[in-house]
Amino acid sequence: MGLAGAGAGLAAIGAGLGIGKLAASAVESIARQPEASGDIRGAMILTAAFIEGVALFAVVVCLLAVLK
Amino acid sequence: MYKKLLFLVIAFSLLIGTLFADNTQEEKGKFNASETILHHILDSHEWELFSLSDGHGGHKPVALDLPWILYSSRDGLAFYTSTPALNESGLFHASHGKVHALKLGANAETHTPEAHTDTTHTEAPAHTEHHDANIDETVKVYDFSITKTSLQMIIVGIVMLLVFSSVAKGYAKNKGQAPTGAQSMFEPVIMFVRDLAKEYLGAKHEKFLPYLLTLFFFIWFSNLFGLTPLNSNIAGNIAVTCALALLTLILIVTNATKDFWMHILLPPGVPPGIQQLLTVIELLSNLIIKPVALAIRLFANIAAGHFMVLSLISLIFILGKAGESVGGAISGAAIGVPFSIIIFCLEMLVAIVQAYIFTLLTTVFISMAMESHDDHHHAHDEEHGHEASEVNKDLRLSDFGV
Repeated sequence: MGLAGAGAGLAAIGAGLGIGKLAASAVESIARQPEASGDIRGAMILTAAFIEGVALFAVVVCLLAVLK
Repeated sequence: MYKKLLFLVIAFSLLIGTLFADNTQEEKGKFNASETILHHILDSHEWELFSLSDGHGGHKPVALDLPWILYSSRDGLAFYTSTPALNESGLFHASHGKVHALKLGANAETHTPEAHTDTTHTEAPAHTEHHDANIDETVKVYDFSITKTSLQMIIVGIVMLLVFSSVAKGYAKNKGQAPTGAQSMFEPVIMFVRDLAKEYLGAKHEKFLPYLLTLFFFIWFSNLFGLTPLNSNIAGNIAVTCALALLTLILIVTNATKDFWMHILLPPGVPPGIQQLLTVIELLSNLIIKPVALAIRLFANIAAGHFMVLSLISLIFILGKAGESVGGAISGAAIGVPFSIIIFCLEMLVAIVQAYIFTLLTTVFISMAMESHDDHHHAHDEEHGHEASEVNKDLRLSDFGV
């Protein structure tokens, strides 16, 4: 139970770092090239969803550990 | 404004009502959040809509009993209207969504009608133990029932049929004119999916567009349906997403070119020892890991969204000690309701983003499988080094890989 909680926390740290880095670079590139902001935003949302997906894998594993 | 607020209040009270449906936890004065949440996430043979007070401090769930359709070699095709009817038949026994065949003639006295309505969780362990002796393990029972999820999928299908037949009629009626009604609402989305397919599949996109559009709108509509207080969780069911991923796998395999298989079975440009290793890795990654990751991504996103909303709503009952502490319940509501509204808004975005990602990855996987390297070899790869262009193309596609 406790270990599963720690695992969920670790997954959140990883996903947070990933999405933070992604958003930082996306904002930077929009600032450099505002006319490409639409494309950049699309790519950002897509990649954010991938990162979130990895984090959610971890959440599912933690839930299985807690519930089984 | 007031209408919208009223709608929100009604929607939330319905949602909270579905949570109350589990009367068993409250009997002990203790609220088991994980059990309640699981009860809402998992598929079942009843569709619980809301619950009413039974006048004795308990709650009576208002549920739609869904039919059991079973097949076994012993009894052939069997049909029961509800779970109690199934358990009274003496042929089968159902508990926690699983059904077993019973030994014939040995179990007359063990069947009490009230024992196996699914709401009596607390008594369930004792009774399943009681029944273990009577379960006939040699008879394999196949369950083809219309469960909650499959009924909801049929409803989503009917809604899609109604919406898109009106869109299609609009195109016939307003030929050469500006779109109207539902047509103008969905045209940008349809164009968006079409442009996506065009970008990756080129001239062949028209062949795949019907499937891709159906896939996109099915996932999107079922995700949105899951945000209504109807206790629906379609794409949050791993069987559904596995079936969708299986369709993608079938499309990959049936459209794969010779080049694709050669690339997998005999990866070019690597020494012999590593080639065999790469073959195994490529086979695993293309035929197993990609579809499985596709299925788990969608399942985990949608199920986790439901988990979050239900956990936040459960706060009311956890802090309120299942109705004993009013102050706790109010503070739980003060925390839970605003946060769950935020999560709901996020989930509305997730609903379309996940539909988009599933469609995009399906498109990319099909285009990778359909890629033929012949045109490179003939056009310019003979004179220039063909590694460079190969690597570029692979890089571009593998950006979206697993």
